[in-house]
Amino acid sequence: MTAFVTLAGVYSTPVFNGERSRDQDLMTTSRALDQFLSSVEKRAFKIAQLGLRNDDDALDAVQDSMMKLVQSYASRAAEEWRPLFYRILANRIRDMQRRRTVRGRIMAWLPVRDAEDEEDFDPVAQAPSHDPGPAKRLELDEAIGVLEAAVAELPPRQQQAFLLRNFEGLDVGETASAMGCSEGSVKTHYFRALESLRARLGEVF
Amino acid sequence: MSDDFEKRTQEVLEESTARLDGRTRSRLTQARHAALAELARPERHWWRSYVPAGAAAAVAVLAVVIWSGQGVGPAPTALSPVDDLELLADAESQEFVDDGEDLEFYEWAAGETES
Repeated sequence: MTAFVTLAGVYSTPVFNGERSRDQDLMTTSRALDQFLSSVEKRAFKIAQLGLRNDDDALDAVQDSMMKLVQSYASRAAEEWRPLFYRILANRIRDMQRRRTVRGRIMAWLPVRDAEDEEDFDPVAQAPSHDPGPAKRLELDEAIGVLEAAVAELPPRQQQAFLLRNFEGLDVGETASAMGCSEGSVKTHYFRALESLRARLGEVF
Repeated sequence: MSDDFEKRTQEVLEESTARLDGRTRSRLTQARHAALAELARPERHWWRSYVPAGAAAAVAVLAVVIWSGQGVGPAPTALSPVDDLELLADAESQEFVDDGEDLEFYEWAAGETES
């Protein structure tokens, strides 16, 4: 009898209370994910652009990675999202690089090209980015050009380690998690990347 | 990360990122919104409309009772991102490939995880 009363009490619970709680959880997760993704999207694009040397491919890689994170890992703790996202992105970049290699290794050595303009005029999209002034801009232009060229030519694992540690600011443990390797490997790849870049850019920087 | 060279390279990359044009920023925003829309997709939660909250709890309790009665082994420990078999199977990690690991194993493992 007690069990029956308990069950009756349970069945009489209004459904919408449970649904409202789940909707609130969904909204909370959605907001947290939105905040996280907007904090990483530009740097993720830059990492993909340096790895793929093509803006359209880089955008595809970032979108695919965002989608994968939300579809498969939204329920994970928020502190896991960063290494997970960059692991997914690294995998995606590698997949696209391999497909490109099959089509022809020569593609990897073409200069970065901008996406074709396929869309209607969008005043927001056409808005200029910030401008620090002509002289400073020239100096930065040169620095950006040489650095990006040097980073793009690093071996993939060194490039990954360098960008995740130096640019994205992941610690050694997070970088190891994102790269799927040991912390020792991360340190080795990062050290070698720095040595290569120093040798190539020492005078410019 | 402390020396001047590392700081300088970081500053230059940050500056390069800050110079992303409006079109790229717009597409990144669209990509983010498309990904977040996945979270709210009704198909992800279709079963909820058919299961009252109390019945779901009762079914879960019964499932645990029946399942533990079948002598199923202890629950697996939580996997870290590195251990996540789906990521490993999806990754075709270059280090594993370079070491001659069998990719079919990871695909099988991923399938076991999903089932």
